[in-house]
Amino acid sequence: MRHVIAFAEHRKGQTRKVTYELATQAHELAQKLGGTAHAIVLGEGAGALAESLTKYPLDVVHVAEDPDVDAYLLDPTIDYLEGAARAIGSSIVLVPNTMYGRDVASRLAARLGAGLNADVTGFAIDGERVACIAPKLGGVTITTCAFEDCEYGVATVRPNAFAAQPGGAGARLETLAKPDAKPYRMRIVNEVEEASSELGLEEAPVVVSGGRGLGGAEPFTTLLKPLADALGGAIGASRAAADAGWVPYSLQIGQTGKTVSPKLYIAVGISGAIQHKVGMRSAGTIVAINKDGTAPISEFSDLLVVGDAFQIVPALTKLINDSKA
Amino acid sequence: MRIVVTVKLVPDLNAEKRIDPATKRLVRTGMETVLNPYDEYALEAALQLKEKLGDDTTVTLLSMVPESSKETLRKALAMGADDAHVLSDEKLSGSDVFVTAAALAGVARKIGFDLVVCGGLADDGSTGGVPGALAEHLGVPGLTNARHLEISDGTITAQRETDSGYQTVTCALPALISVTMAVGEPRYASLKGIMGAKRKNIALLSAADAGVTETTSRTELLSFGPPPARTKARIVEAADGAAGAQTIFDFLRERKLV
Repeated sequence: MRHVIAFAEHRKGQTRKVTYELATQAHELAQKLGGTAHAIVLGEGAGALAESLTKYPLDVVHVAEDPDVDAYLLDPTIDYLEGAARAIGSSIVLVPNTMYGRDVASRLAARLGAGLNADVTGFAIDGERVACIAPKLGGVTITTCAFEDCEYGVATVRPNAFAAQPGGAGARLETLAKPDAKPYRMRIVNEVEEASSELGLEEAPVVVSGGRGLGGAEPFTTLLKPLADALGGAIGASRAAADAGWVPYSLQIGQTGKTVSPKLYIAVGISGAIQHKVGMRSAGTIVAINKDGTAPISEFSDLLVVGDAFQIVPALTKLINDSKA
Repeated sequence: MRIVVTVKLVPDLNAEKRIDPATKRLVRTGMETVLNPYDEYALEAALQLKEKLGDDTTVTLLSMVPESSKETLRKALAMGADDAHVLSDEKLSGSDVFVTAAALAGVARKIGFDLVVCGGLADDGSTGGVPGALAEHLGVPGLTNARHLEISDGTITAQRETDSGYQTVTCALPALISVTMAVGEPRYASLKGIMGAKRKNIALLSAADAGVTETTSRTELLSFGPPPARTKARIVEAADGAAGAQTIFDFLRERKLV
Protein backbone atom coordinates (compact mmCIF):
# COMPACT_ATOMS: atom_id res chain seq x y z
CA MET A 1 0.00 0.00 0.00
CA ARG A 2 1.19 3.44 -0.89
CA HIS A 3 -0.37 6.81 -0.26
CA VAL A 4 -0.30 9.82 -2.54
CA ILE A 5 0.29 13.41 -1.43
CA ALA A 6 -0.38 16.49 -3.55
CA PHE A 7 1.52 19.68 -2.68
CA ALA A 8 -0.82 22.64 -3.20
CA GLU A 9 1.17 25.54 -4.59
CA HIS A 10 -0.45 28.93 -4.26
CA ARG A 11 0.33 32.60 -3.78
CA LYS A 12 -1.32 34.01 -0.69
CA GLY A 13 -4.31 31.75 -1.16
CA GLN A 14 -4.58 32.48 -4.87
CA THR A 15 -5.20 29.07 -6.31
CA ARG A 16 -3.37 27.60 -9.19
CA LYS A 17 -5.29 25.31 -11.51
CA VAL A 18 -2.55 22.71 -11.38
CA THR A 19 -3.31 22.25 -7.67
CA TYR A 20 -6.72 20.76 -8.53
CA GLU A 21 -5.17 18.66 -11.27
CA LEU A 22 -2.77 17.19 -8.71
CA ALA A 23 -5.56 16.65 -6.17
CA THR A 24 -7.57 14.72 -8.76
CA GLN A 25 -4.57 12.69 -9.86
CA ALA A 26 -3.62 11.97 -6.23
CA HIS A 27 -6.99 10.27 -5.78
CA GLU A 28 -6.71 8.23 -8.97
CA LEU A 29 -3.19 7.05 -8.16
CA ALA A 30 -4.07 6.29 -4.53
CA GLN A 31 -6.96 4.10 -5.62
CA LYS A 32 -4.66 2.04 -7.81
CA LEU A 33 -2.09 1.75 -5.02
CA GLY A 34 -4.63 0.90 -2.32
CA GLY A 35 -3.67 3.94 -0.24
CA THR A 36 -5.17 7.27 0.75
CA ALA A 37 -5.00 10.63 -1.02
CA HIS A 38 -3.77 13.77 0.72
CA ALA A 39 -3.18 17.42 -0.06
CA ILE A 40 -0.91 19.77 1.87
CA VAL A 41 -1.54 23.52 1.90
CA LEU A 42 0.90 25.88 3.62
CA GLY A 43 1.26 29.58 4.32
CA GLU A 44 -0.86 32.71 4.15
CA GLY A 45 -4.29 31.99 2.67
CA ALA A 46 -3.91 28.24 3.16
CA GLY A 47 -7.18 27.91 5.07
CA ALA A 48 -9.39 29.15 2.24
CA LEU A 49 -7.57 27.06 -0.35
CA ALA A 50 -7.78 23.97 1.86
CA GLU A 51 -11.53 24.53 2.10
CA SER A 52 -11.85 24.53 -1.69
CA LEU A 53 -9.75 21.34 -1.89
CA THR A 54 -12.19 19.44 0.33
CA LYS A 55 -14.51 19.38 -2.69
CA TYR A 56 -12.01 17.15 -4.48
CA PRO A 57 -11.82 13.37 -3.96
CA LEU A 58 -9.14 13.49 -1.26
CA ASP A 59 -9.12 11.73 2.10
CA VAL A 60 -7.32 14.43 4.09
CA VAL A 61 -6.34 18.04 3.44
CA HIS A 62 -3.50 19.06 5.77
CA VAL A 63 -3.17 22.74 6.44
CA ALA A 64 -0.76 25.07 8.23
CA GLU A 65 -1.36 28.81 7.97
CA ASP A 66 2.09 29.62 9.31
CA PRO A 67 3.57 33.06 8.46
CA ASP A 68 7.11 31.57 8.50
CA VAL A 69 6.25 29.78 5.23
CA ASP A 70 5.99 33.15 3.47
CA ALA A 71 8.74 34.89 5.43
CA TYR A 72 11.47 32.36 4.61
CA LEU A 73 12.42 30.71 1.35
CA LEU A 74 11.73 26.97 1.05
CA ASP A 75 13.05 25.71 4.41
CA PRO A 76 9.76 25.86 6.38
CA THR A 77 7.88 24.35 3.45
CA ILE A 78 10.31 21.43 3.20
CA ASP A 79 10.15 20.84 6.96
CA TYR A 80 6.34 20.73 6.90
CA LEU A 81 6.26 18.43 3.88
CA GLU A 82 8.84 16.09 5.35
CA GLY A 83 6.94 15.92 8.65
CA ALA A 84 3.62 15.25 6.91
CA ALA A 85 5.09 12.63 4.55
CA ARG A 86 6.73 10.76 7.44
CA ALA A 87 3.46 10.82 9.43
CA ILE A 88 1.44 9.59 6.44
CA GLY A 89 3.93 6.84 5.56
CA SER A 90 5.20 5.36 2.31
CA SER A 91 3.95 7.62 -0.44
CA ILE A 92 4.33 9.29 -3.79
CA VAL A 93 4.47 13.09 -3.51
CA LEU A 94 3.13 15.10 -6.45
CA VAL A 95 4.46 18.62 -6.91
CA PRO A 96 3.61 20.97 -9.79
CA ASN A 97 6.36 21.35 -12.36
CA THR A 98 6.67 25.11 -11.90
CA MET A 99 9.69 27.18 -10.86
CA TYR A 100 8.74 26.94 -7.20
CA GLY A 101 7.55 23.35 -7.46
CA ARG A 102 10.86 22.20 -8.93
CA ASP A 103 12.71 23.74 -5.98
CA VAL A 104 10.37 22.09 -3.50
CA ALA A 105 10.61 18.70 -5.19
CA SER A 106 14.39 18.56 -5.43
CA ARG A 107 14.86 19.52 -1.78
CA LEU A 108 12.10 17.21 -0.53
CA ALA A 109 13.30 14.21 -2.54
CA ALA A 110 16.82 14.58 -1.15
CA ARG A 111 15.46 15.03 2.38
CA LEU A 112 13.32 11.89 2.11
CA GLY A 113 16.00 9.87 0.31
CA ALA A 114 13.48 9.54 -2.50
CA GLY A 115 13.70 9.23 -6.24
CA LEU A 116 12.82 12.30 -8.30
CA ASN A 117 11.00 12.19 -11.63
CA ALA A 118 10.56 15.50 -13.42
CA ASP A 119 7.99 16.98 -15.79
CA VAL A 120 5.68 13.98 -15.58
CA THR A 121 2.75 13.77 -18.01
CA GLY A 122 1.46 10.29 -17.13
CA PHE A 123 1.77 7.40 -14.68
CA ALA A 124 2.04 3.65 -15.25
CA ILE A 125 1.50 1.28 -12.36
CA ASP A 126 2.69 -2.27 -12.06
CA GLY A 127 1.68 -3.74 -8.70
CA GLU A 128 3.09 -1.31 -6.17
CA ARG A 129 5.70 0.00 -8.52
CA VAL A 130 4.98 3.45 -9.89
CA ALA A 131 6.55 4.60 -13.14
CA CYS A 132 6.43 8.13 -14.51
CA ILE A 133 6.03 9.02 -18.15
CA ALA A 134 7.86 12.21 -19.11
CA PRO A 135 9.22 13.93 -22.20
CA LYS A 136 13.02 14.29 -22.12
CA LEU A 137 15.81 15.75 -24.24
CA GLY A 138 13.68 18.71 -25.28
CA GLY A 139 10.74 16.47 -26.10
CA VAL A 140 12.46 14.23 -28.66
CA THR A 141 12.12 11.20 -26.36
CA ILE A 142 9.30 10.07 -24.09
CA THR A 143 10.66 8.10 -21.14
CA THR A 144 9.05 5.75 -18.65
CA CYS A 145 11.04 5.86 -15.44
CA ALA A 146 10.17 3.89 -12.29
CA PHE A 147 10.72 4.77 -8.68
CA GLU A 148 12.97 2.15 -7.15
CA ASP A 149 11.75 0.24 -4.18
CA CYS A 150 12.20 2.98 -1.59
CA GLU A 151 9.75 4.47 0.82
CA TYR A 152 9.07 7.70 -1.01
CA GLY A 153 8.98 8.99 -4.55
CA VAL A 154 8.65 12.61 -5.66
CA ALA A 155 7.30 13.64 -9.05
CA THR A 156 6.99 17.10 -10.55
CA VAL A 157 3.86 17.04 -12.69
CA ARG A 158 3.44 19.11 -15.83
CA PRO A 159 0.48 21.52 -15.60
CA ASN A 160 -2.37 20.73 -18.02
CA ALA A 161 -1.30 17.08 -18.23
CA PHE A 162 -4.19 15.84 -16.09
CA ALA A 163 -7.84 16.81 -15.71
CA ALA A 164 -9.18 18.48 -12.57
CA GLN A 165 -12.39 16.79 -11.42
CA PRO A 166 -14.17 17.66 -8.16
CA GLY A 167 -15.96 14.86 -6.33
CA GLY A 168 -15.74 12.51 -3.38
CA ALA A 169 -17.44 12.58 -0.02
CA GLY A 170 -15.63 15.66 1.26
CA ALA A 171 -12.08 15.54 2.54
CA ARG A 172 -11.25 15.85 6.22
CA LEU A 173 -9.35 18.98 7.25
CA GLU A 174 -6.40 18.53 9.60
CA THR A 175 -4.03 21.11 10.98
CA LEU A 176 -0.34 20.29 10.72
CA ALA A 177 1.77 20.77 13.81
CA LYS A 178 4.73 23.12 13.45
CA PRO A 179 7.92 21.15 12.84
CA ASP A 180 10.59 21.25 15.54
CA ALA A 181 12.07 24.72 15.64
CA LYS A 182 15.05 25.00 13.36
CA PRO A 183 16.63 28.29 12.43
CA TYR A 184 15.27 29.28 9.01
CA ARG A 185 18.09 30.85 7.08
CA MET A 186 16.80 32.36 3.85
CA ARG A 187 14.77 35.43 4.69
CA ILE A 188 12.52 36.90 1.99
CA VAL A 189 13.03 40.66 2.21
CA ASN A 190 10.61 41.73 -0.50
CA GLU A 191 8.73 40.44 -3.47
CA VAL A 192 8.02 42.16 -6.78
CA GLU A 193 5.46 41.02 -9.36
CA GLU A 194 6.58 41.77 -12.90
CA ALA A 195 4.10 39.79 -14.96
CA SER A 196 0.87 40.56 -13.14
CA SER A 197 -0.86 37.61 -14.71
CA GLU A 198 -3.33 35.75 -12.53
CA LEU A 199 -2.39 32.61 -14.34
CA GLY A 200 1.04 31.04 -14.36
CA LEU A 201 2.39 30.80 -17.88
CA GLU A 202 3.16 27.11 -17.49
CA GLU A 203 -0.41 26.21 -16.64
CA ALA A 204 -2.35 28.58 -18.89
CA PRO A 205 -4.74 26.68 -21.21
CA VAL A 206 -3.91 29.14 -24.00
CA VAL A 207 -0.59 30.88 -24.64
CA VAL A 208 -0.19 33.77 -27.07
CA SER A 209 3.48 34.22 -27.69
CA GLY A 210 5.45 36.93 -29.47
CA GLY A 211 8.89 37.06 -31.04
CA ARG A 212 11.33 39.19 -32.95
CA GLY A 213 8.65 39.95 -35.58
CA LEU A 214 6.84 42.20 -33.12
CA GLY A 215 9.68 44.69 -33.18
CA GLY A 216 9.30 46.06 -29.66
CA ALA A 217 7.74 45.88 -26.20
CA GLU A 218 4.52 47.72 -26.97
CA PRO A 219 2.83 45.09 -29.18
CA PHE A 220 2.96 42.64 -26.27
CA THR A 221 0.50 44.82 -24.34
CA THR A 222 -1.46 46.36 -27.22
CA LEU A 223 -1.64 43.34 -29.54
CA LEU A 224 -1.01 40.05 -27.70
CA LYS A 225 -2.49 40.76 -24.27
CA PRO A 226 -6.01 41.55 -25.62
CA LEU A 227 -5.96 38.32 -27.66
CA ALA A 228 -4.73 36.31 -24.67
CA ASP A 229 -7.46 37.88 -22.52
CA ALA A 230 -10.12 37.06 -25.11
CA LEU A 231 -8.98 33.43 -25.10
CA GLY A 232 -8.54 33.21 -21.32
CA GLY A 233 -4.80 32.70 -21.69
CA ALA A 234 -1.43 34.16 -20.88
CA ILE A 235 1.26 35.84 -22.95
CA GLY A 236 4.70 34.37 -23.60
CA ALA A 237 7.73 35.25 -25.68
CA SER A 238 10.67 33.87 -27.59
CA ARG A 239 14.21 34.30 -26.32
CA ALA A 240 14.83 37.04 -28.90
CA ALA A 241 12.05 39.13 -27.34
CA ALA A 242 13.29 38.52 -23.78
CA ASP A 243 16.92 39.24 -24.72
CA ALA A 244 15.82 42.49 -26.35
CA GLY A 245 14.27 43.50 -23.02
CA TRP A 246 10.76 43.72 -24.47
CA VAL A 247 9.41 41.32 -21.83
CA PRO A 248 10.83 39.92 -18.56
CA TYR A 249 12.67 36.59 -18.77
CA SER A 250 9.84 35.05 -16.75
CA LEU A 251 7.80 35.05 -19.97
CA GLN A 252 10.44 33.33 -22.10
CA ILE A 253 9.45 29.98 -23.58
CA GLY A 254 11.97 27.49 -24.88
CA GLN A 255 15.20 25.71 -24.14
CA THR A 256 16.51 28.28 -21.68
CA GLY A 257 13.06 29.38 -20.51
CA LYS A 258 9.80 27.72 -19.66
CA THR A 259 8.19 24.65 -21.16
CA VAL A 260 4.48 24.98 -21.81
CA SER A 261 1.87 22.54 -23.07
CA PRO A 262 -1.37 24.50 -23.40
CA LYS A 263 -4.39 23.37 -25.39
CA LEU A 264 -3.72 26.20 -27.85
CA TYR A 265 -0.45 27.98 -28.63
CA ILE A 266 -0.47 31.01 -30.91
CA ALA A 267 2.99 32.07 -32.10
CA VAL A 268 3.11 35.61 -33.45
CA GLY A 269 6.21 36.72 -35.31
CA ILE A 270 8.20 33.71 -34.06
CA SER A 271 10.24 31.88 -36.67
CA GLY A 272 10.40 28.66 -34.64
CA ALA A 273 14.06 27.94 -33.94
CA ILE A 274 14.75 24.59 -32.29
CA GLN A 275 15.43 26.41 -29.00
CA HIS A 276 11.85 27.73 -29.04
CA LYS A 277 10.32 24.51 -30.36
CA VAL A 278 11.45 22.41 -27.40
CA GLY A 279 9.49 24.69 -25.06
CA MET A 280 6.12 24.41 -26.82
CA ARG A 281 6.09 21.42 -29.17
CA SER A 282 3.73 19.44 -26.97
CA ALA A 283 0.95 22.05 -27.15
CA GLY A 284 -2.39 20.62 -28.31
CA THR A 285 -2.87 22.95 -31.27
CA ILE A 286 -0.26 25.34 -32.63
CA VAL A 287 -1.23 28.33 -34.77
CA ALA A 288 1.44 30.61 -36.22
CA ILE A 289 1.19 34.07 -37.72
CA ASN A 290 4.28 35.05 -39.66
CA LYS A 291 5.36 37.16 -42.60
CA ASP A 292 7.45 34.28 -43.91
CA GLY A 293 5.63 31.20 -45.23
CA THR A 294 8.84 29.16 -45.12
CA ALA A 295 9.65 29.88 -41.45
CA PRO A 296 10.73 26.74 -39.55
CA ILE A 297 7.59 26.97 -37.42
CA SER A 298 5.61 25.69 -40.43
CA GLU A 299 7.23 22.31 -39.84
CA PHE A 300 5.53 21.74 -36.50
CA SER A 301 2.48 23.98 -36.33
CA ASP A 302 -1.03 23.03 -37.39
CA LEU A 303 -1.87 26.26 -39.18
CA LEU A 304 0.44 29.00 -40.44
CA VAL A 305 -1.21 32.18 -41.62
CA VAL A 306 1.17 34.27 -43.71
CA GLY A 307 0.43 37.95 -43.28
CA ASP A 308 0.76 41.07 -41.17
CA ALA A 309 0.32 40.25 -37.48
CA PHE A 310 -0.45 43.90 -36.72
CA GLN A 311 -3.57 43.58 -38.91
CA ILE A 312 -4.52 39.97 -38.19
CA VAL A 313 -4.27 39.88 -34.39
CA PRO A 314 -6.66 42.79 -33.60
CA ALA A 315 -9.17 41.45 -36.14
CA LEU A 316 -8.95 37.99 -34.57
CA THR A 317 -9.37 39.41 -31.07
CA LYS A 318 -12.51 41.22 -32.23
CA LEU A 319 -13.94 38.07 -33.89
CA ILE A 320 -13.44 36.11 -30.67
CA ASN A 321 -14.91 38.82 -28.44
CA ASP A 322 -17.88 39.29 -30.78
CA SER A 323 -18.55 35.55 -30.80
CA LYS A 324 -18.87 35.61 -27.01
CA ALA A 325 -21.32 38.53 -27.00
CA MET B 1 36.60 33.01 0.47
CA ARG B 2 36.33 29.67 -1.30
CA ILE B 3 33.79 29.38 -4.11
CA VAL B 4 33.00 26.00 -5.66
CA VAL B 5 31.24 25.96 -9.05
CA THR B 6 29.58 22.76 -10.21
CA VAL B 7 30.03 22.10 -13.92
CA LYS B 8 28.61 19.38 -16.06
CA LEU B 9 29.61 18.37 -19.55
CA VAL B 10 26.75 17.86 -21.98
CA PRO B 11 26.44 16.87 -25.63
CA ASP B 12 26.73 19.85 -27.95
CA LEU B 13 23.49 21.89 -28.15
CA ASN B 14 22.90 21.13 -31.79
CA ALA B 15 23.84 17.45 -31.69
CA GLU B 16 21.04 14.95 -32.06
CA LYS B 17 20.60 13.42 -28.63
CA ARG B 18 19.57 9.82 -28.16
CA ILE B 19 19.45 7.11 -25.55
CA ASP B 20 21.36 3.84 -25.96
CA PRO B 21 18.77 1.02 -26.03
CA ALA B 22 21.13 -1.39 -24.25
CA THR B 23 22.31 0.75 -21.34
CA LYS B 24 19.30 3.12 -21.31
CA ARG B 25 21.69 5.97 -20.84
CA LEU B 26 22.24 9.08 -22.90
CA VAL B 27 24.77 8.37 -25.63
CA ARG B 28 27.71 10.65 -24.88
CA THR B 29 30.36 9.03 -27.00
CA GLY B 30 31.00 10.12 -30.56
CA MET B 31 29.56 13.55 -29.98
CA GLU B 32 31.37 16.63 -28.90
CA THR B 33 30.80 17.41 -25.27
CA VAL B 34 30.73 21.00 -24.15
CA LEU B 35 30.36 22.80 -20.85
CA ASN B 36 26.70 22.85 -19.91
CA PRO B 37 25.79 26.38 -21.06
CA TYR B 38 23.90 27.10 -17.81
CA ASP B 39 27.04 26.27 -15.83
CA GLU B 40 29.00 28.89 -17.78
CA TYR B 41 26.64 31.44 -16.23
CA ALA B 42 27.35 29.96 -12.79
CA LEU B 43 31.08 30.34 -13.42
CA GLU B 44 30.56 33.89 -14.67
CA ALA B 45 28.71 34.75 -11.45
CA ALA B 46 31.52 33.22 -9.38
CA LEU B 47 34.21 35.11 -11.31
CA GLN B 48 32.32 38.39 -10.84
CA LEU B 49 32.30 37.71 -7.09
CA LYS B 50 36.00 36.94 -7.13
CA GLU B 51 36.67 40.27 -8.85
CA LYS B 52 34.66 42.13 -6.22
CA LEU B 53 35.95 40.22 -3.21
CA GLY B 54 39.64 40.21 -4.14
CA ASP B 55 42.48 37.81 -4.68
CA ASP B 56 42.13 35.71 -1.56
CA THR B 57 38.92 34.39 -3.13
CA THR B 58 39.37 31.17 -5.07
CA VAL B 59 37.06 29.58 -7.61
CA THR B 60 37.22 25.79 -7.82
CA LEU B 61 35.39 23.73 -10.41
CA LEU B 62 33.61 20.59 -9.27
CA SER B 63 32.57 18.10 -11.89
CA MET B 64 31.53 14.49 -12.26
CA VAL B 65 32.66 13.30 -15.68
CA PRO B 66 34.42 10.33 -17.26
CA GLU B 67 38.19 10.77 -16.99
CA SER B 68 38.44 10.96 -20.77
CA SER B 69 36.40 14.20 -20.82
CA LYS B 70 38.22 16.06 -18.09
CA GLU B 71 40.28 18.18 -20.49
CA THR B 72 37.06 19.90 -21.61
CA LEU B 73 37.22 21.67 -18.24
CA ARG B 74 40.30 23.61 -19.47
CA LYS B 75 37.87 26.00 -21.13
CA ALA B 76 36.39 26.86 -17.73
CA LEU B 77 39.86 27.16 -16.24
CA ALA B 78 40.77 29.51 -19.12
CA MET B 79 37.76 31.68 -18.27
CA GLY B 80 39.32 32.23 -14.85
CA ALA B 81 38.64 29.34 -12.47
CA ASP B 82 41.65 28.51 -10.31
CA ASP B 83 41.54 24.72 -10.27
CA ALA B 84 39.23 21.75 -10.72
CA HIS B 85 38.20 18.65 -8.84
CA VAL B 86 36.84 15.86 -10.99
CA LEU B 87 34.95 12.91 -9.59
CA SER B 88 35.31 10.08 -12.04
CA ASP B 89 34.18 6.57 -11.19
CA GLU B 90 32.47 3.85 -13.19
CA LYS B 91 30.31 3.14 -10.12
CA LEU B 92 28.69 6.55 -10.58
CA SER B 93 27.95 6.18 -14.28
CA GLY B 94 24.22 6.64 -14.93
CA SER B 95 23.56 8.10 -11.48
CA ASP B 96 20.21 9.74 -10.81
CA VAL B 97 19.73 13.08 -9.01
CA PHE B 98 20.00 11.54 -5.57
CA VAL B 99 23.32 9.79 -6.13
CA THR B 100 24.76 12.65 -8.19
CA ALA B 101 23.98 15.18 -5.48
CA ALA B 102 25.27 12.90 -2.72
CA ALA B 103 28.52 12.34 -4.62
CA LEU B 104 29.05 16.04 -5.41
CA ALA B 105 28.35 16.84 -1.76
CA GLY B 106 31.09 14.40 -0.74
CA VAL B 107 33.65 16.18 -2.88
CA ALA B 108 32.47 19.69 -1.94
CA ARG B 109 32.87 18.86 1.74
CA LYS B 110 36.33 17.50 1.06
CA ILE B 111 37.37 20.65 -0.83
CA GLY B 112 35.74 22.96 1.70
CA PHE B 113 33.62 25.94 0.62
CA ASP B 114 31.93 29.13 1.66
CA LEU B 115 29.72 29.25 -1.38
CA VAL B 116 28.66 26.68 -3.99
CA VAL B 117 27.38 28.10 -7.29
CA CYS B 118 25.32 25.96 -9.68
CA GLY B 119 23.73 26.52 -13.07
CA GLY B 120 19.96 26.46 -13.07
CA LEU B 121 19.59 23.47 -15.36
CA ALA B 122 21.54 21.02 -17.45
CA ASP B 123 21.04 20.99 -21.16
CA ASP B 124 20.80 17.24 -21.54
CA GLY B 125 17.44 16.09 -20.33
CA SER B 126 18.15 15.86 -16.62
CA THR B 127 15.72 16.98 -13.96
CA GLY B 128 17.24 20.30 -12.88
CA GLY B 129 17.06 18.84 -9.39
CA VAL B 130 20.75 18.74 -8.50
CA PRO B 131 21.17 22.24 -6.97
CA GLY B 132 18.33 21.76 -4.48
CA ALA B 133 19.37 18.19 -3.68
CA LEU B 134 23.01 19.26 -3.26
CA ALA B 135 22.02 22.00 -0.79
CA GLU B 136 20.05 19.42 1.14
CA HIS B 137 22.95 16.94 1.20
CA LEU B 138 25.34 19.69 2.31
CA GLY B 139 22.91 20.99 4.92
CA VAL B 140 23.28 24.58 3.72
CA PRO B 141 20.67 27.10 2.47
CA GLY B 142 19.81 26.54 -1.21
CA LEU B 143 19.11 29.92 -2.77
CA THR B 144 17.93 29.07 -6.26
CA ASN B 145 17.38 31.08 -9.45
CA ALA B 146 19.46 34.09 -8.42
CA ARG B 147 19.84 36.75 -11.10
CA HIS B 148 21.83 39.26 -9.09
CA LEU B 149 23.88 38.78 -5.96
CA GLU B 150 26.03 40.64 -3.51
CA ILE B 151 28.06 39.39 -0.60
CA SER B 152 29.13 41.47 2.36
CA ASP B 153 30.03 40.53 5.93
CA GLY B 154 29.42 36.87 5.21
CA THR B 155 25.85 37.48 4.07
CA ILE B 156 24.42 37.02 0.58
CA THR B 157 21.73 39.33 -0.68
CA ALA B 158 20.25 37.97 -3.88
CA GLN B 159 17.49 38.85 -6.24
CA ARG B 160 15.91 35.60 -7.35
CA GLU B 161 13.49 35.02 -10.19
CA THR B 162 10.05 33.66 -9.41
CA ASP B 163 7.21 32.55 -11.67
CA SER B 164 5.75 36.03 -11.59
CA GLY B 165 8.67 38.37 -10.99
CA TYR B 166 11.44 38.39 -8.44
CA GLN B 167 12.10 38.48 -4.73
CA THR B 168 15.02 39.63 -2.62
CA VAL B 169 16.39 37.01 -0.24
CA THR B 170 19.21 37.20 2.30
CA CYS B 171 21.10 34.39 3.97
CA ALA B 172 24.37 33.82 5.78
CA LEU B 173 27.28 31.82 4.32
CA PRO B 174 28.01 28.98 3.84
CA ALA B 175 25.33 28.54 1.23
CA LEU B 176 24.53 27.21 -2.20
CA ILE B 177 23.07 29.34 -4.95
CA SER B 178 21.88 28.54 -8.45
CA VAL B 179 21.87 31.31 -11.00
CA THR B 180 19.83 32.25 -14.05
CA MET B 181 21.16 33.62 -17.33
CA ALA B 182 20.41 37.15 -16.16
CA VAL B 183 23.66 37.21 -14.10
CA GLY B 184 25.48 38.25 -17.27
CA GLU B 185 26.92 36.72 -20.43
CA PRO B 186 29.79 34.33 -19.69
CA ARG B 187 33.13 35.94 -20.51
CA TYR B 188 35.43 34.74 -23.24
CA ALA B 189 38.75 33.29 -22.22
CA SER B 190 41.66 35.63 -22.93
CA LEU B 191 44.82 34.36 -24.62
CA LYS B 192 46.59 34.74 -21.27
CA GLY B 193 43.79 32.76 -19.65
CA ILE B 194 44.07 29.98 -22.20
CA MET B 195 47.86 29.73 -21.76
CA GLY B 196 47.54 29.86 -17.97
CA ALA B 197 44.85 27.17 -17.93
CA LYS B 198 47.32 24.59 -19.21
CA ARG B 199 49.20 24.74 -15.93
CA LYS B 200 46.18 24.71 -13.65
CA ASN B 201 45.52 21.61 -11.61
CA ILE B 202 42.73 19.17 -12.38
CA ALA B 203 42.57 16.75 -9.43
CA LEU B 204 41.02 13.40 -10.15
CA LEU B 205 39.05 11.62 -7.42
CA SER B 206 37.36 8.24 -7.19
CA ALA B 207 34.11 7.68 -5.30
CA ALA B 208 36.15 6.21 -2.44
CA ASP B 209 38.48 9.27 -2.37
CA ALA B 210 35.44 11.49 -1.98
CA GLY B 211 33.93 9.32 0.72
CA VAL B 212 30.96 8.52 -1.51
CA THR B 213 29.16 5.42 -0.28
CA GLU B 214 25.74 5.96 -1.78
CA THR B 215 25.73 4.68 -5.35
CA THR B 216 22.27 3.15 -5.73
CA SER B 217 19.96 5.27 -7.86
CA ARG B 218 16.39 5.83 -6.69
CA THR B 219 14.93 5.73 -10.17
CA GLU B 220 15.23 3.30 -13.07
CA LEU B 221 14.57 4.04 -16.73
CA LEU B 222 12.27 1.27 -17.99
CA SER B 223 11.62 2.30 -21.57
CA PHE B 224 11.66 5.21 -23.98
CA GLY B 225 10.35 6.08 -27.42
CA PRO B 226 9.61 8.91 -29.81
CA PRO B 227 6.79 11.39 -29.10
CA PRO B 228 3.71 11.50 -31.32
CA ALA B 229 4.80 13.12 -34.58
CA ARG B 230 3.65 16.61 -35.54
CA THR B 231 2.75 17.16 -39.15
CA LYS B 232 3.60 20.12 -41.33
CA ALA B 233 1.29 23.10 -41.10
CA ARG B 234 -1.51 24.01 -43.43
CA ILE B 235 -0.14 27.27 -44.86
CA VAL B 236 -2.58 30.00 -45.81
CA GLU B 237 -1.60 33.32 -47.37
CA ALA B 238 -3.79 36.07 -45.88
CA ALA B 239 -5.08 38.60 -48.41
CA ASP B 240 -5.51 41.11 -45.58
CA GLY B 241 -5.89 41.28 -41.80
CA ALA B 242 -9.59 40.43 -41.84
CA ALA B 243 -9.09 37.38 -44.06
CA GLY B 244 -6.19 36.12 -41.95
CA ALA B 245 -8.19 36.54 -38.77
CA GLN B 246 -11.18 34.74 -40.28
CA THR B 247 -8.98 31.80 -41.34
CA ILE B 248 -7.66 31.40 -37.79
CA PHE B 249 -11.09 31.92 -36.22
CA ASP B 250 -12.69 29.24 -38.43
CA PHE B 251 -9.85 26.84 -37.66
CA LEU B 252 -10.22 27.39 -33.89
CA ARG B 253 -14.00 26.87 -34.24
CA GLU B 254 -13.41 23.63 -36.10
CA ARG B 255 -11.22 22.43 -33.23
CA LYS B 256 -13.69 23.72 -30.63
CA LEU B 257 -11.07 26.05 -29.17
CA VAL B 258 -13.34 29.13 -29.28
